[in-house]
Amino acid sequence: MRTRLFTVLGVVGVIAGAAVFVTLAWVDAAGQAATGSTATSTARTGTAPRTPWGEPDLQGIWTNEFDTPLQRSVRHGTREFFTEEERAELDQERAALLGRDRRVERGTELDVAGAYSSVFMSMKRTGLRTSLIVDPPDGRIPPTTAEAQARAAADRGFRIALLQSTSTCKNGSPACAGGTYDPAPSPRRGEALSRYNTARMNRHDGPEDGSLSDRCLSGAIPEFGTAYGGSFRRIVQTPGGVTLFYDVGQGQGFQRNVVMNGSPHLPPHVRQWFGDSRGRWEGDTLVIDVTNFSPKFDFMGSRDNLHLVERWTRTGPATLEYAVTIDDPTVWTRPWTVKEEFAKQNDKENRIYYEPRCHEGNYGFPSLLLAARLADKAYAERRGPHPALMDNATDFVGVEDNPFGR
Amino acid sequence: MRIRLNGSMISVAIAAAAVSAAVTLSVTQTAGQVSSRPARVEGQPNFSGIWQANNEAHWDVQAHDARAAAVLQPGAYPFEYARLPAAPVVALGAAGGVPGSLGVVQGDGQIPYTAEALAVKRENADRWIDRDPELKCYLPGIPRAMYMPYPFEITQGTDKIHMAYAFATTARTIHLDEVDPPPADTWMGHSVGRWEGDTLVVEVTNFNDKTWFDRAGNFHSDALHLVERFTLTTPDVVQYEVTIEDPQVFTRPWRIAMPLYRRVEPNMQLLEYRCTEFAEEFLYGNLRKTPRVTRWEGETMIVDITRKVPPGDRFYEWFRK
Repeated sequence: MRTRLFTVLGVVGVIAGAAVFVTLAWVDAAGQAATGSTATSTARTGTAPRTPWGEPDLQGIWTNEFDTPLQRSVRHGTREFFTEEERAELDQERAALLGRDRRVERGTELDVAGAYSSVFMSMKRTGLRTSLIVDPPDGRIPPTTAEAQARAAADRGFRIALLQSTSTCKNGSPACAGGTYDPAPSPRRGEALSRYNTARMNRHDGPEDGSLSDRCLSGAIPEFGTAYGGSFRRIVQTPGGVTLFYDVGQGQGFQRNVVMNGSPHLPPHVRQWFGDSRGRWEGDTLVIDVTNFSPKFDFMGSRDNLHLVERWTRTGPATLEYAVTIDDPTVWTRPWTVKEEFAKQNDKENRIYYEPRCHEGNYGFPSLLLAARLADKAYAERRGPHPALMDNATDFVGVEDNPFGR
Repeated sequence: MRIRLNGSMISVAIAAAAVSAAVTLSVTQTAGQVSSRPARVEGQPNFSGIWQANNEAHWDVQAHDARAAAVLQPGAYPFEYARLPAAPVVALGAAGGVPGSLGVVQGDGQIPYTAEALAVKRENADRWIDRDPELKCYLPGIPRAMYMPYPFEITQGTDKIHMAYAFATTARTIHLDEVDPPPADTWMGHSVGRWEGDTLVVEVTNFNDKTWFDRAGNFHSDALHLVERFTLTTPDVVQYEVTIEDPQVFTRPWRIAMPLYRRVEPNMQLLEYRCTEFAEEFLYGNLRKTPRVTRWEGETMIVDITRKVPPGDRFYEWFRK
């Protein structure tokens, strides 16, 4: 296996060609989906460069150079910006987390999963904003619908059932929250899921039991970055056309195609992992409407009904404002909006990991499946424990203490 | 190790490829799609739009007879020309065949392999299913991505020309401005372009040795160096030529040439072909708790395949070579 470490603008840890065993959990919004934003509440375009053919020039490699919590801590209320003192304090606390090599009880499966320690995580300076979410005014993800809560609870119940007879539940790990230890393997182990699985579970009967990131299928929009790698996008424009290429954590980047000819969305039965992007210029802002998402993808519980309206505005020589309104009436009680300010990266240095090759080096995933088959065999031959007694799903990466989540 | 393959999975992939190869190029255009695309961008010919090769080079860049399948087994006769489709593709019937072609290799039509490299090429062809990176949905490399039976989209800016490929939803950027080389070798190459009159000339370097030229086992090393030339011969046709150099594998540079056609359908757009998922049964099917291998039952055709992977060709062994 070839593993190359690639340093992107001080953001350590884009792992190329390596098995990806880190769950990039969108659900844990409080702690993980944290990327930064500087203060730009309204787009200013007076000094924005233009292409030779007169369109606002969005071209280049763009990233958010700051870390900002997706959701605002409730203690900040509706306050949009940190004080300088708060930023310095957060930077200090977060930097201290990076050097730590947290361990759980030696000899447990969780401790083995801790191979991905905080060493693999990146940290940028805390941004000016108290949250990426700018609407609702409290900076929080709106409440979910009763329907979405029921779906999430059912899903969680199933995943907990798969863990119930492992040491994770026996030791009362946070990964078993809401569940109780039961030495007897759950009868639910053979159940088929009611929706396509996208997350790690403690069952490895086939590829579909794997998480999308383990399968090298986790790249998706909206893309707000993670603690495990960069979040870059390259924009190239031509008269009447625009294209976006994403470099996201651990070689799971992707190409996104935008249709700019004014035609309507794809027929409803045609679904894509990255949706169907239809762009148009509204004044100096590129507005992209995205629908037709695949039911195999998941953004915080939202799937084929997800509707994004993105607004890309060049605000200055080196800045690009990105705002996305996220809507799915089957999941959230109201639409919500995230805003980021991207900084232009050096074209000559070309520090975009432009070749997503997670899949090409993915030995980790078949190894996981093979280990499960060997465990089945060992149990059948009375050489090993019942596979349900082992936890081969839970990550332990030490992000639970992220001060952004408090 | 034995890898058991579900034939119907292969069937679907190959049938899809065959169908998309037979694309009909409509001659009608709508004003709406074309009017927004000027003939030139900053004085240079505008290559922007969706393009696709319409030939058999993805099967074999060299001239070849039509044959029953990409992998064959001995038939009723001892003759090479009368072999039958091998088990993994037999379920496809006539849709699994390989169409004949005069090839795209220029000059005498031969690829100037060294003697050792020619032996590797022949072995690659015999072990196509085990070795072709396309079947695993690996990044296809250049020039192969240019003539696979999938469309690709060119977005021509002033300093960068971006090429997005439907296959594996991958892409490459051609740098017309100054750019540092990549920090490591690549599947899709490092593309640096310049204009020679109305021709876009692209030097592609920094390859790894993992990609192929076609489904016939034609290959290269990490010393591969390409010079591509793109010339618009009509608004909807690009003449595409590549000079291929690799002293570790070929005794001299050689050249391929073909037209690329604009996909002129008014509603044309690049759709995803995120095949990582499609290749999972192929790559990991043997690791399922309950393998989905089937067989004939009465008149129901179920393909039960035993495919022995030769030593050294398990997918991760192949990667290490």
